[in-house]
This record gives sequence, C-alpha cells and structure tokens, in this order.
Amino acid sequence: MTAGGPERSTIRVWDAFVRVAHWTLVAGIAASWLSRHAGDWHEWLGYATLAIVLARIAWGFAGTSYARFGQFVRSPAATLDYARRVLAHAESRHIGHNPLGAYMILLLILMVILVAISGWLATTDTYWGVKWVEELHEGLSNTLLFLVALHIAGVVFSSLRHRENLVAAMFNGRKRAPGRDDVA
Amino acid sequence: MKPAILVSACLISLFSIAQLHATGLATCDSGPRETWQAQEKLEKILVDRGWKIRRIKEDGGCYEVYAFDEKGERVEAYFHPKTLDLVPTSRYPRK
Repeated sequence: MTAGGPERSTIRVWDAFVRVAHWTLVAGIAASWLSRHAGDWHEWLGYATLAIVLARIAWGFAGTSYARFGQFVRSPAATLDYARRVLAHAESRHIGHNPLGAYMILLLILMVILVAISGWLATTDTYWGVKWVEELHEGLSNTLLFLVALHIAGVVFSSLRHRENLVAAMFNGRKRAPGRDDVA
Repeated sequence: MKPAILVSACLISLFSIAQLHATGLATCDSGPRETWQAQEKLEKILVDRGWKIRRIKEDGGCYEVYAFDEKGERVEAYFHPKTLDLVPTSRYPRK
C-alpha cells in the first residue's frame, strides 16, 4: 500500500456476501437505469435489484460483524459529532463503515425500495399510465442516482483522508489493520 | 487511489452516455407537429376498437398510448402521428 514503507498487515472486514451484494447492486442499479425504456427488461431488473437490497437487509441482521447494521449505525448525536470531526480534520478512521457512510447506506437502501415500489405501482391496473406515478418513479430514481454520486464522493474523500483504497477493499474485503486511534 | 477515481469516472461517463441516448420504445419520423393528425382522432379509433384509454402522450415523435385493450389487458402502444398506424415495439403487439 504505502510505497517504501514497511508492509502493513491487513484484516478481513467485508465478507463475501457484502461484497457480492454491493457490486451486484451497482450492476442492478446501472442496468435498471440503462434499460429504463426497455419495458419488460427494465421491470425484471428493477425487481432483481430490490431482491438484492432485501437480502442485504436480512444480512444486516444475520451476517458477520461488519455486515450488521448494529455494528455501524450510530445515534444521530454520535453521527453529528463525527461530522464535526470530519470538518475539523480530526475524525478517527473506522474499520467498518463510518457513521456518515452508515446513514448513506440506509438512505440508498430506502431509495431502492421506494423506486421499486413506485415502479411496480406504475404497472398495476389502478395506476397504469397515470402521470404522477411515472413522475414519482422518475423523481425517486434521479434522487437515488444523486445519492449514489454523493456516496462515491464520500468513498473517494474517505479514501484520500485515511490513505486507503476503499473501492479495492470492497473488492477484496481487506483493510489495513486497525491502528491505535482507529475505531475497530 | 487510482482505481477509486477510475471506477467513479467510468460510472459517471456510463450514466452520462445513457442520458444522451434517452429515447422511448420507438421513434417516429413524423416531421413538424402541424402535419400530424389530431390526438383525438387516434383516441376515437381506439375507443371504437374497444380500448379504454388512460393517457396519450408524445414520445420520440410518436403518440404513446397507455390503455386497456378490448380484452381488458394493459397496453402501452405507439402510433405514428401522421398515419395513426401502429408502430410495433417490444411491448406491443405481444408475440
């Protein structure tokens, strides 16, 4: 990792389920977006994406330590405190998700569910061809994409701040072993 | 940090390209709108055929119709605004 420095040990953080769920979710959202005018394909991709998110929610209760919501979702007060530390360049490095990232995860999960529900609604007899449902689905989808962009920005920011490649970590599951000031 | 930036750049360009190519299920080479037949005329033809119309909008130079057909099935169908002929798409007619 650090050129010239001694080899730092790494630990396993993200289990296989978390990593596969993350990247299939990326693929699902991208494919759903790209197929948005492709009718049937779009519907099935949307439901598949919802299924990934529902499975991830279940894993958030039954999975390995760093996969659990209980491990990374902090109280609003603690999260605000973390945000202040970020602004002061004084936040600790988190081995799991940091508190701000945690809320982004919850938000992204919620948005996928809302996008899927509104999309399904547009296929029901009751709301078939109804303009506001279509616009709701589009608005929610655009919001989701905006949040994805923010999520990526947060990942890049955190990676630079703590000098570690978080994208690579989501592929190989490993992160630098916790140091003295890190939150494990 | 290169992979992080690379992945972000790829995603952003992927979505931007997708945005540029935003078209519906069909496109109609239908020229200026003044030369089109009235939407009401299409609606009447379809209603006479036993369809229940939910909404007609313009998409890709076509009339896009959300309706229930004579069998009560949900239909999303495209029609050419000059000829009012059906423009076949992946969604209608069903094979």
